[in-house]
Amino acid sequence: MWQLDSSTLITVITVLASSIGIVIGAIVPAVMEGIAVQKALDGITRQPEAANDLRTTLLISMALLESTAIYVLLVILVLLFANPLLERFF
Amino acid sequence: MEAVIPTVVFYLFGLPITDTMISTWVMMGLIILVAFLIKKFKPTLGEMIVEMIYSIVSSVMPEDSDLSKYLPFLGTLAIFLVIGNIFSIFPMMVSPTANLNTTAALAILVFFAVHFYGIRDKGLIGYLKDFANPIFMLPMEIIGQISRTLSLAVRLFGNILSTDLIVAIVFSLIPFLVPLPLIALGMLTGILQAYIFIVLASLYVGSAIEVEAMEQERRQLKNEASRSV
Repeated sequence: MWQLDSSTLITVITVLASSIGIVIGAIVPAVMEGIAVQKALDGITRQPEAANDLRTTLLISMALLESTAIYVLLVILVLLFANPLLERFF
Repeated sequence: MEAVIPTVVFYLFGLPITDTMISTWVMMGLIILVAFLIKKFKPTLGEMIVEMIYSIVSSVMPEDSDLSKYLPFLGTLAIFLVIGNIFSIFPMMVSPTANLNTTAALAILVFFAVHFYGIRDKGLIGYLKDFANPIFMLPMEIIGQISRTLSLAVRLFGNILSTDLIVAIVFSLIPFLVPLPLIALGMLTGILQAYIFIVLASLYVGSAIEVEAMEQERRQLKNEASRSV
């Protein structure tokens, strides 16, 4: 095995962690949003006159759910483009 | 890196002027020009836009509240966001909201507007009394105020930046016809995010002025109960 110097090691680990993190951070909110849409559609088919109220509530809650995925994306953008660890240790 | 951190175009009296600022100036000029043109040549279109914003805001504000006091602020936000979120479709321009500084400024505006409207409606003492009704909820309320301002800023920024980044990446791979559906998706996301920002802002304003009505109801109930006893 060849010897990695530590900044290369940190970069490699950062890229790996970012990939795994964005995958998890994309899957979980997507599944949860799917559940929310499913329930809202159930409600609309059962009671079509409540569609307008349900749509507003659904959009707001989807935005709130979506923001967790956006937080993951932001953390990963910081890790990839402006990595604080590389500057701190080297 | 160039997509995340805005590039400085030139220096004006020692102040760095970024491409975001230039896009915002162009957008402001465009909005003012189009507003004058609409007012002069097609006033019915202007009425239609205002009524659309009114119906969005009134769907989440409390009933029987006078919306004309809050509509100037929320409507300005709506017009700015709808055009600002899709502004990167114009050549040489970037979306002003793909920069954290713009969205943080908008979120802080909403934060101060909520308290301003609350204090204007109820007076300082009444607003502070209603702010945390059982007093032990005060820390939760303060954390909620800070975190919703933060999430308002970061959500808009992240959504607009991520769609712009996807378009840029695909454009660098295949620059012909293939990015078009992604640009359409970005426009859809931008308009949806503008809608969500407006709905959340009016929800917060509504929650700052609404407690009065609940409190009034409770006081009425209390009066009736004491009278019946």
